[in-house]
Amino acid sequence: MARYGMALDYKNCINCKACEVACKEENGVELGAEKHRIWVGANNPEGQWPLLDIASVAFQPSQCQHCEDAPCQEVCPTNATYYDENHVVRVDSDKCILCSYCMNACPYDARYVDDRTMTVDKCTFCSDTRLARGETTTACQNTCPTKVRTFGDLDDPNSEISELLRTRDHFSLKAHLGTNPKLFYLT
Amino acid sequence: MQVEMSRRRFLQGGVAMSVVGGTTFSATNLFASHEESHGSVPTTITTKTSTGKAEEVPVLCGMCVNKCAAFARVEEGVITKLNPNPYFPKSRNMLCPRGNAGIQTTYDPDRLKYPMIRIGERGDGKYKRVSWDEAYDAIVNGTDKFKGLKQILDEEKDNRATIGYANGEGLSKEGFEVLIGQKMGTPNYVDEVSICLETAGGGFFSTIGTYPEIDFEHADYQIIAGANRAEAIITPDTMDMFKYTKGRGLKTICIDPRFTNTAAKSDKWLPINPGTDLAFVLALTWVVFKENLQNEEFMKKHGVGYEEYKQHILSHKYTPEWAEPICGIKAKEIYTIAREFMDAESPIYYPGRRSVFSPNDYQLRRAMAIFQALSGNMDKKGGYIFGNRGLLPAEYVKQPIYQNTKERFDTEGIAFPTLKSGSWIVFRNMVLEGKNPYPVRAMLMRKHNPMMSVPNTTKTRAFLEKMDLNVVIDILPTDTAMLADVILPEASYLERMSPVKSYGFLEPSVVMRQAAIEPLFETRTPEVIFKELGEKLSKPLFEVSKKHDVALQELIKEKGEKVAFEEGGYNLAEPFEKPIEERNEEIISEVFGEKAWEIIKEKGVYYPHMEEYHKQLSPNDFQYYPKNKRKYTSRGDSLKIVCKNDSLTSGGIDAMPTWDDAWKFSVPKGEFRLITGRHAQFTQSGTQNNMMLRDLIPTNFVWINQREADKMGIEFGEKVEIKSDIGAIVLKAYPTEKIAPNQIFLLHGFGSESNGMEFAYGNGGNDATIIKDDIEPMYGAAVMHSTNCKIRKV
Repeated sequence: MARYGMALDYKNCINCKACEVACKEENGVELGAEKHRIWVGANNPEGQWPLLDIASVAFQPSQCQHCEDAPCQEVCPTNATYYDENHVVRVDSDKCILCSYCMNACPYDARYVDDRTMTVDKCTFCSDTRLARGETTTACQNTCPTKVRTFGDLDDPNSEISELLRTRDHFSLKAHLGTNPKLFYLT
Repeated sequence: MQVEMSRRRFLQGGVAMSVVGGTTFSATNLFASHEESHGSVPTTITTKTSTGKAEEVPVLCGMCVNKCAAFARVEEGVITKLNPNPYFPKSRNMLCPRGNAGIQTTYDPDRLKYPMIRIGERGDGKYKRVSWDEAYDAIVNGTDKFKGLKQILDEEKDNRATIGYANGEGLSKEGFEVLIGQKMGTPNYVDEVSICLETAGGGFFSTIGTYPEIDFEHADYQIIAGANRAEAIITPDTMDMFKYTKGRGLKTICIDPRFTNTAAKSDKWLPINPGTDLAFVLALTWVVFKENLQNEEFMKKHGVGYEEYKQHILSHKYTPEWAEPICGIKAKEIYTIAREFMDAESPIYYPGRRSVFSPNDYQLRRAMAIFQALSGNMDKKGGYIFGNRGLLPAEYVKQPIYQNTKERFDTEGIAFPTLKSGSWIVFRNMVLEGKNPYPVRAMLMRKHNPMMSVPNTTKTRAFLEKMDLNVVIDILPTDTAMLADVILPEASYLERMSPVKSYGFLEPSVVMRQAAIEPLFETRTPEVIFKELGEKLSKPLFEVSKKHDVALQELIKEKGEKVAFEEGGYNLAEPFEKPIEERNEEIISEVFGEKAWEIIKEKGVYYPHMEEYHKQLSPNDFQYYPKNKRKYTSRGDSLKIVCKNDSLTSGGIDAMPTWDDAWKFSVPKGEFRLITGRHAQFTQSGTQNNMMLRDLIPTNFVWINQREADKMGIEFGEKVEIKSDIGAIVLKAYPTEKIAPNQIFLLHGFGSESNGMEFAYGNGGNDATIIKDDIEPMYGAAVMHSTNCKIRKV
């Protein structure tokens, strides 16, 4: 029993996409550029060459925010989307009828359709692969060259993530929506 | 294991290469057929890792040159995941996207699966599947379509130099050099050095005695010019650097014509005119001398020709105002950077290994190294690190002497030709132009794809077509393989143990790649191929020597044939007789003891006191060596900074870095300067058929300035033709403000013309077909950024 979350030291991110590949290989995610559980958001610099605005550019690794109050879970008519015992937002593919309400409800665009099972798929924090084997990191955290991510139990005050959130400023994405994400971006 | 439905779509129409007389490729046996392989192949592209039993095999990544350490997770004989290995100081417990996608390279459906012999005309793709013995026999004796080495050498009276060979970077590189160079005896060797970083290595070595490592942990200021560590990943630099950028201790000035991901992580980005970095460094140096900002004591102690260099810089008036119009960087920026650099506690001018971009690259590296030395931040904490040597001794090879072998000749236009690896461009061009003093009649190529890596593909094709015999050892049917007479399929890096490798510098260690799985299909490991090829070649080629080599004839008369053969080193397979595992065990046990062998077998990494020193500090961080065990200073008083090198003038090279106005940047109106570079998701042409990486970089777009594109009516994704003096390619456009109006950029490693690679074939454009084959004057290394192009919408 845990309440899993993730802190992202996103200024370390160099947009190499090692996390995207590690996620696909670990979790058997379907190939295809549009099929991904995690991604790195990037924008172009503002301004015109040669006067480009460095401060306007950011690389923002992202994935399912595992919201405490997840809109995707609320709208699911078959309870296919559920919270597991570790507060991870999961999809039961046996129950999913591909109504796609969850995909529309998710403010983070974190869900996609797996063409093999014709159900909705998303980040599981490697619950059924790495965590199920007793490992303590997700594939994306483990592989990262610049160590952007720290995954851990928010309910454990001694965990690395709890320490980070106590000592570092951080923000959540689209906090105004009241979804209470469990992904925290460190500043 | 999941069944991936979309897989069939990938394989439709997948007749990879027309194979006549053997088993043909087809969608059903390409990949999934277990009869074709000694090992198991997975039935899906991505395989979800299970919670069941798995082996964790220590491997070393082979997707690029870095050799990061990983553990391969193997479930029921199938590699399901590659995870970073936390024991290797160099790769710091990480795997980049290419490293993660290595599984797709091993299980690539288009892998070369068995030996093949050409039965059609060169380039028409008609091959016959043969046994390994038949393939070796064809190399020795030829077929009705091509001549073998025995006949060629006999006709050339045992001049071994008639055989050329080319080799790609990797842990088995040395073995191929031993077999073909040292044992078979040809000096005509070319490799990636002269199309990559030769001047960077040479410039730094000849100025400060090494190509240094950087202690980013303690550095506080850096100039990173023309290097792009966020995308062209080098370990450990990439991991170390970007933890401290963005206001976190390492102020970073990025100098690059293009707004790269490195620029995005910097405090300041200054787009410089391509090829003018030398003027920038000279102007920085002028400011330092003019304002007396240098560490005079350090330079007086270590500098060679230091006073003359100071006078040289000041008297040439390399002022920031002089540099401004040349570089396109404002004078006041140059003043500021020079002052900030010298004011910093631990400043770094990042040495920046990369390809040679401009003809002055050797002198640029010299100027950079001297500028760094002016700060005194060298051979110490936070600076350039010289560190330890590697931990392993060199091996001895018994080398035959072939009396009739001529010297290599690729020296035209080169001040200081390198005897070992020569110049690809000069070697090729002199043969094409008939300037070779003796015929070059065969090319033996391993893990090397000159059709895409050496500028001017038209010339490379003509060169290879001229050969009597081309042999390719590789894992994929590359453009070069399609011109081969004999193709030998190699095991990929996950299917083989490799010779142990040692790394020096700050945190020295020894690493060993082990085989995660048995070689698939009929592929064989490089060292087995070297041994078998050596065995097949030894006697027939010895017969050729006996016929033509007077010195050998005398030796035989004196000692008898058997003794002459053995003592003379004519048994070419001799260095490979012991299996690689036995050799590795011997070396490790001898140097470090038997316990070390057990540790390296289990962990893939070994260094003295590893069990005591290695600690996990947090979920993400490891200690490899405690700080007080890292050798930050190693050269001490013996450190020399060669500011003036008079020996260079004998080759017509300036003794001190000097600007020549011929290097000024200019582009004719209506044209664009072509610049090239790397992404983190791609390694040259070697990853172009990797399906996972294709998801991330589907093709090589051409970057063109947004406003120029608007003027020409070019929109994102539209096709444009890029035409230089030597060729043309068609690419999709990527209009962006991240590049100057008179420049275009495209990613190297796309545009294969080999229909043997289903995913790479015809995807994007091959930059080697349009980049002119210019060389720099020091070593004859390829200059990548001297080509102007015209663009039109098609």
